Formats: sequence, C-alpha cells, structure tokens
Amino acid sequence: MAIVAQSSKFSSYGRPVLAWGVGLLFFFPIFWMVLTSFKTDADAVKPEYLFFFTPTLDNYLNMTDNYDYWRFARNSVITSVSATLFTLFVSVPAAYAMAFNPTRATKDVLMWMLSTKMLPAAAVLYPMIFLAKGIGLYDTHILIITVLSLINLPIAIWMLFTYFKEIPKDIIEAGKMDGVNTWGEIKEILVPLAWGGIASTALLIFIFCWNEAYWTVRLTTIDAATLSKLIEGNRAPEGLFFGRLSAVSTAAVGPIVVLGWFCQKQLVQGLTFGAVK
Amino acid sequence: MSDRKLPRLLQTPAVLLLLVWMLIPLGMTLYFSFIRYVLNSLRRPEWTSPSLSNWRGFGNYEFVLKSKDFVLAIQNSLFIVCSILFLTVILGILIAVLINKTFPGQGIVRVLLISPFFVMPAVNAVLWINMILDPVLGLQGIAVAGINDILDGLRQMPLLGGFSSLWPEFEPISFRATQTSAIAVIMMVTWQWTPFAVLIFMTSLQSEDQQQKEAAILDGAGTWSQFRFLTLPHLGRPIAIVVMIQAIFHLSLYAEIEIVSRGNGNKNLPYLIGEFANNNIGAASATGIFAVILANIVAIFLLRMVGKTLME
Repeated sequence: MAIVAQSSKFSSYGRPVLAWGVGLLFFFPIFWMVLTSFKTDADAVKPEYLFFFTPTLDNYLNMTDNYDYWRFARNSVITSVSATLFTLFVSVPAAYAMAFNPTRATKDVLMWMLSTKMLPAAAVLYPMIFLAKGIGLYDTHILIITVLSLINLPIAIWMLFTYFKEIPKDIIEAGKMDGVNTWGEIKEILVPLAWGGIASTALLIFIFCWNEAYWTVRLTTIDAATLSKLIEGNRAPEGLFFGRLSAVSTAAVGPIVVLGWFCQKQLVQGLTFGAVK
Repeated sequence: MSDRKLPRLLQTPAVLLLLVWMLIPLGMTLYFSFIRYVLNSLRRPEWTSPSLSNWRGFGNYEFVLKSKDFVLAIQNSLFIVCSILFLTVILGILIAVLINKTFPGQGIVRVLLISPFFVMPAVNAVLWINMILDPVLGLQGIAVAGINDILDGLRQMPLLGGFSSLWPEFEPISFRATQTSAIAVIMMVTWQWTPFAVLIFMTSLQSEDQQQKEAAILDGAGTWSQFRFLTLPHLGRPIAIVVMIQAIFHLSLYAEIEIVSRGNGNKNLPYLIGEFANNNIGAASATGIFAVILANIVAIFLLRMVGKTLME
C-alpha cells in the first residue's frame, strides 16, 4: 500500500511541478528567441545581458531594411492562402462524393491518394525543376501554389472524408427528395453542417503550407521566395546578428504558433488520417 | 445526371491532379536514372541534355552503389531516423502519462508543450544551431564559460584549491563538426516532434477503458503494473502510427541538415541526391529511386495499419 500513498502525494505536488517543468523546458527555445529579439545585436551575445537588458523594438522596426521581411511575408501569405483555397476547392467535392456515394473502389482510391504523400520529395525534385524551367514557371507564385496544393491534397481529402462520414446520410438524402441538385447539396446542406471540419482542415493545410521548407526553397530564387527561404538564406550569422535574426524568426513563426494552439485536436485527426481517435 | 456518374465526376479533378503529380516527375526520374545526363561536361557535351541515345542501363545504379557516400548516407539516414523515433516515443509516452491527469494549469502546459511543433523547420534549425548550441556565443558556450569560471574560483580557494585535479576545464562542443552535427539534428527534430507524439498518445489515453482500470486497482494492481498491462497495450496502435508517420517525414529530412552542417560528414539520402544533382542528374535520379524504394517499405506497413480502420 506504500505505493498508493506515495502516488497520491505525487498527484498533488509532484505531478504539477514536473508537468510545468517539462512544459517550460519545451517552450524555452521559443521564449529565448522572442527574448533575444528585443536585444540589440551587440547585447544578444553578451553573457551579462542574458536575462536583464534594456529592451528595444529596433529589430522589428528595421526588419524591412535588414531582411526585406515584408516581401517574403507577402509571398508566404499569397502562396499559402491560395494553395489552401485551391486545395479545398478540389478536395471538398471529392471527399463529399467518397463519403456519401462510396463505390467499391473508394477505399482503394483513398489509400492510393495517401500513398502519393510518401513519395520522397528529393527523388522528384530535379524533374520538377526541369519542367518548371521548361515552361517558364520557375520562381513564380503559380508554381509554388500548385506544388503546395498537390502535396497537401491527400491530407485534406482524408481529413474532410473523416468529418463528412460523421454526418448522417439521411440529411443529405432528404435534400435530394426536395429536388436540390448536387451543387445545392454541397452549398446548402453539407457546408453549413460540416463548417467546423472544413475550417479546421483549412487551418491545418494553411499551417503546413506556411512551414513548407523543401519545395519552396528549391523552386524559388527571388520573385516567389517565401519566409522559409529567407530564414534558410541567413542560416549562419556567426553571432553578429542574433538580435535581428531572432526578430525576423519570431515574426515568421509567431502567427502560426498561435494558430496552431487552436487546432491541436484537428492536428491529431489530420496527421493520423483518422486512425487515432 | 445519373446517381452513379456524378460522384465519379466530383472525384475526377483530385484523382487526375494526383495522378499527374505522381506519374510525370517519377517517370522522368526513372528515365533519367537509366541515361547519362550531366549538367556540365566539356568533354562530352552530348550528355548535357537528356536523350535515349545516352542510354546507360543500370550504370548509374552501379555507380551509386559503389560510391562510398551512398553507404554512409543510408547509415546516417537510419541512425538519425531511429534515434529520433526512439527518443520521441519514450519521451512522448512519459509526458503524455504525466499530463493526462488534471492538475492546476493543465491547459497552459498543453499549449506550451505543443508549440514547438508549429515552428517552421528553417527557424528551428537556425535557432538551435546559433542561439542555443553555438560553442562560443550560444547558450551552450555561455553556460560552459560560466561553469569554467566557477571551477576557476574553486581552484583559487585556499583549502579546496589544493585538489586542483578535481576541477577540470570543460570544452564547449561544436555541433557543426563532422561527428556531432547528426546529434544536433537529432536534438532539434526531437524537440519539434515530441509534442506530436505527446498529442497523439494523450488523445489515445483519453479513450482508455476506465472501468477496467478501476477493476485492476481493486485487485491490488500497482501503478507500474497498471501501466505495463493496461496502458501500454492500449497505446500499441498509436505508437505504431507515430513511428511510421515520423519515419516518412524524417527519411526526407533536409532543411535541418543543410542549415546545421551543409552535409559536412553528415549526409542522409535526400542530401546525397542534392549533391549528385549539382552535376550528375543520372546518379541523383538513381539515388532517388533508391529513396523511393526505402520509403515504400515503410509506407506499406503504414497503409496497412490505416487501411484497417478505414470505412469502420
């Protein structure tokens, strides 16, 4: 019985302390980046200013001069938003058909779609560059939007499929009786019912697009370069620019981390393709 | 329109897009892997454009298999992936079990824990290798210097200083070097993906059968045997899924390796492809086909697992 007594003591004191310790430890690198972003470049590498320093906003105010931040941010927004919208535009009808009118092939089609996600990007990078340069799309928004949409399409279809499956078929059938056509069914019945599922799919796809760092780096040079490319290009500041680099990094990941807090649950469903509930 | 045709029509755009996305680049990679194709060659300018007349058969594959870097890259790929998997699964289970019970501030701790997963890989790598792990200016360097200062102080002390052999001088570790850069990559990716494992294990723990657990407690089962015989078997499936999804992602790790060391002594398969592709597209394509085969071995297992729950 000694174990039981110990475990209850652990529950009231040990668990909260340990849990908070682990949480803070994992968050520390992000905290450190945000803290460093308020130091001048000179202060950022001095041990005596580790935690106590005169905060400055200069790193944020000079982001445009130092890194041309807004141009990259603009490209990130354009490509991520467009790719998310395009992905939804293609995946909502497909998932609708699979969930409400499944055929014998539906399962295989879904599995096959998932398998496209496992194609290693490095294996097909060169043909993509070759094709993109051939048709003059290299380093354009269109190319990045297309690639981002295609790599996220399977995940979107799977997520939407698992949401749509939960909707009772009768509701859709009732719409059919009333003589609503398919487009009307999607617009009038499905979208209002599955609004939450569609929104969280969109959110997750947007996060994936924003963070993508393989295709966006390798298929762009200047015109369509995203924030991933900007950070990758400043990988080794040799300690000279820790302050300003922290500021631009914070600006690049801040909005996404906050968005991520709101879709933890959907993340599980989206990334495990509904296999963990 | 008939009931059967329409559903197919709605799926067509998605299916077609993915089909084109799969077949064309992969077909080209396969084609390039069987011909001599380089970006620059003064001696053989005819090799600089893809053509069937430069057919090489399995020559590129032989060339890749014989290169010393290939074995190294496979070893390194597996070392990095296995280390990350091991660490994230162990840490994930421990943390999930720790925070699964209610305690003050549980919601905030969850938010703190999950945050690393949303940091973009490029920022993750730049942050860790510079601000945290740099041997001089990063936190590591500052911490090592601080410890050495304290030890120096102890050496100066009147009595204790006599045992000067007890107070060693510490050397900071450079994580951009050949032997250590893989460790840095493992650290940063583990930091980013442990939250993912925690999230999935927690989701699964919440569906654990509580009645069974209470019965076990009544039967006098201790905390450890509850964990060993009830919780762990319940987590079997989520563990398999975490392992396989991560394997897929980490087999194609690139940004972190590029940023930490530029592949200095620490290449994985995707990095090797990138290096070959600087000039020898044929060899890069053959390596790509090997990567596809490796990914498929993992994928078959994953698809089987996921397929079982589909349509339930």
